Amino acid sequence: MDHALTLDRVTKRFGDFTAVDQLSLRIPRGCVYGFLGQNGAGKTTTIRMVMSIFYPDAGSITVLGEPNAEAIKDRLGYLPEEKGLYKKMRAGEIVAYFGKLKGLAPAVANRRARELLARYGLSDWIDKRCESLSKGMGQKVQILGTLIHEPELVILDEPFSGLDPVNQEALREVILDQKRAGRTVIFSTHVMSHAEELCDFLFLIHKGKKVLDGTLAEVKAGGEPTIHLDYDGDGAALRDLPGVRQVRDKGKQAEILLLPGADPQAILAALVGRLRIRRFDTREPSLQEIFIRAVGGRSDE
Amino acid sequence: MSKTFLVAQREYLENVRTKTFWIGILAVPVILILSFVGVALFSKAKGVRTYAVLDRSAEQWLSKAIEQRAQGGDLQRILRESRVAREQAAQRTPAQIRAELEEARAGASAPPLRELLEILLAMPDQDLARFAAGTPDPQLILGHPQLMAWATRQDPKQMAALASGLDAAKYRRVEVREPGTDAEARLRAMVQSGELFAYFVIGPDPIQGTQECLYVSNNFTDRELREWFSGLATEIVRERRVASLKLTAEQGRFLQERFVFSEKQVSEKTGALEEVQKTQKAFQFAPLVFVYLLFISVLMWASMLLTNTIEEKSNRILEVLLSSVSPFQLMAGKVLGIAGTGLTVVVSWVAFAYVGVKALPLFLERMPDVEFTAILGSPLYLASFAGYFLAGYLFYAAILVGIGSVCNSLKEAQNLVMPVNLLLMVPLLAMLPVVNEPNGTLARVLTYIPLFTPFLMMNRAGGPPPMWEYGASTVLIALSVAVAFWAAAKVFRIGVLMTGKPPRLTEILHWIRAPVGTPHVHHEET
Repeated sequence: MDHALTLDRVTKRFGDFTAVDQLSLRIPRGCVYGFLGQNGAGKTTTIRMVMSIFYPDAGSITVLGEPNAEAIKDRLGYLPEEKGLYKKMRAGEIVAYFGKLKGLAPAVANRRARELLARYGLSDWIDKRCESLSKGMGQKVQILGTLIHEPELVILDEPFSGLDPVNQEALREVILDQKRAGRTVIFSTHVMSHAEELCDFLFLIHKGKKVLDGTLAEVKAGGEPTIHLDYDGDGAALRDLPGVRQVRDKGKQAEILLLPGADPQAILAALVGRLRIRRFDTREPSLQEIFIRAVGGRSDE
Repeated sequence: MSKTFLVAQREYLENVRTKTFWIGILAVPVILILSFVGVALFSKAKGVRTYAVLDRSAEQWLSKAIEQRAQGGDLQRILRESRVAREQAAQRTPAQIRAELEEARAGASAPPLRELLEILLAMPDQDLARFAAGTPDPQLILGHPQLMAWATRQDPKQMAALASGLDAAKYRRVEVREPGTDAEARLRAMVQSGELFAYFVIGPDPIQGTQECLYVSNNFTDRELREWFSGLATEIVRERRVASLKLTAEQGRFLQERFVFSEKQVSEKTGALEEVQKTQKAFQFAPLVFVYLLFISVLMWASMLLTNTIEEKSNRILEVLLSSVSPFQLMAGKVLGIAGTGLTVVVSWVAFAYVGVKALPLFLERMPDVEFTAILGSPLYLASFAGYFLAGYLFYAAILVGIGSVCNSLKEAQNLVMPVNLLLMVPLLAMLPVVNEPNGTLARVLTYIPLFTPFLMMNRAGGPPPMWEYGASTVLIALSVAVAFWAAAKVFRIGVLMTGKPPRLTEILHWIRAPVGTPHVHHEET
């Protein structure tokens, strides 16, 4: 009951194609949860099943403790991957309209729509028609439309796509505001940096199957630490170092991938004297690296 | 249900608050009025047909008689339109008639009319009574030299102002100077140059036959002049022939009298014979207006629904909406919203028509023969139209919204909508046969095909069909609408989120048969 969303061995097929395969997930309340995956990995299909737009072929989905998401539509906020607005409606009207459809009283919806638009820097556009908004602004309007009824669970499918850096920053702020208000936010992306900055939990899907899931720290701990080295001298000195899995020597720079549990300090000691070291840093693997490694670099789409 | 209402409300407001919507509503009556005025102006602008007559009869008696007869006819119209002669006049005493004429003379602004009324007032009582009783006999007019002299004196334009449709306003005779041997050659040249519309040649002995009688013109599409002239000639020659048989004028008229059956109807209450109600005609023809209206509405609004659905589908807004409302609510909302828009249009037009019909007498001074206002005053009749109208719209709307949901572009949709539009032609083609035989086999058979039920029941209202048919057709159309909605909702929920090529018909049927919640098999994301 303390989970916002539970998927239990959910499978969805389209003809012979299995879009989502035996997927199980538990998403706690009050967190920001990232769905990561390549295009066509099954993120959108999973989200659509959560929203009861598609029905799973097998398995069960429990949303906010309720097996039937249709019954609690008003407690969910959903931004689909394909985003659109009524061109002839004014920004304030359409945000309010989404609120009314979620069961808000007209007066409340109208007031909140104006407040939200003003809070996120769109006060000049409240009475402008949607056709006059830029794509990024339109997307912001639509995101606000999914939040106006203060849903307990917000699902945003690719919310960052098409936004410029300033608006991406604004959207991060929107998502964090939701989290601060104690709501659960799920968003999908294929840009790892967004997930890395925002997510408490991650879930990586590839070809319909779950590859990884857990907290950001857990996911990262599962990856291998890497040393980045800038040096002058003979690259032969990089061979036969202790605890190293792989070295990518580029001549003046090298990436040293460590085996789990290896000590970077020992490597530094081994290198000092053999090479002139200009820079030596160890850092956690980026999600990008984990991602690429997890899917084995097989990007067949 | 309130979500359905919200969708409908948004749909309605989006349409209704555009300027183009109201311009569109106004455009129809304005175009109608303009085209009526245009036709009226055009028929006036048709101009006077000039003609000449080359009369070889003795002393040109026939052409003179024709001219007199034409003037007599014009006088008759003037007397009728200036209300000197009236149907109920038979009951009036000569003194009353005189009083009325005096009053009319005092009120007459045009000098020719005043002059005419003075001539009438100078007549002996007996003649005056005959003039005032019903439509004056042409013979009577011809027998009054003062009246004929008055007609000859008048300028055709001034005459035309006194009554509509006068011959003097339509045809002008040009005198043939020196009707010698080359006269015909001169007339030919005039026709050739367009100076004359036509000329007539009358043979030396028209009583005997039409030898040597000619109508020469270069325009044979407009035969009005010829029909009018030969009509007058026929009357005169026939009278002469009757006279040559030594019959009196009375006997002559007796011979020529048309055989007319008078119309009566059986009263619904008493079962006795009574005068034919004018409203009857209205009740017979009004259904046609409504059938047309439904046809146009279905074509217009249901296709509006189609474009709207496709637009929203390509707009990608449907998925957001579907996260808040069920597909059925969304579909029902759209259908109702556009129905509301449509009804606004119809109600506006009916209001225009009502005002128009009420205002018509102000302009025409006489009511048209058909009492249209009677229909507007008959709530039951209107209610049945409203019901069938709505049912018809809903039925087709369900079909079209289903089609719209599976298409990605208007072009695709048009192919699928074509058969529906062809089906709609059936009630339109059956319209006249059904009006003539509202309870015939054709009407009955078509009534029970759900696609046509609303059209046919409206069409048959003049019958009227028996009560049980009203009941049966109402049940049928209500069931059909329900089934159509149920099927459309199932297609809609799958169709709206689908991209790629439209599904095959068998696939759609599969969606309809499948219970709700069953996954459909379709390649969407591959």
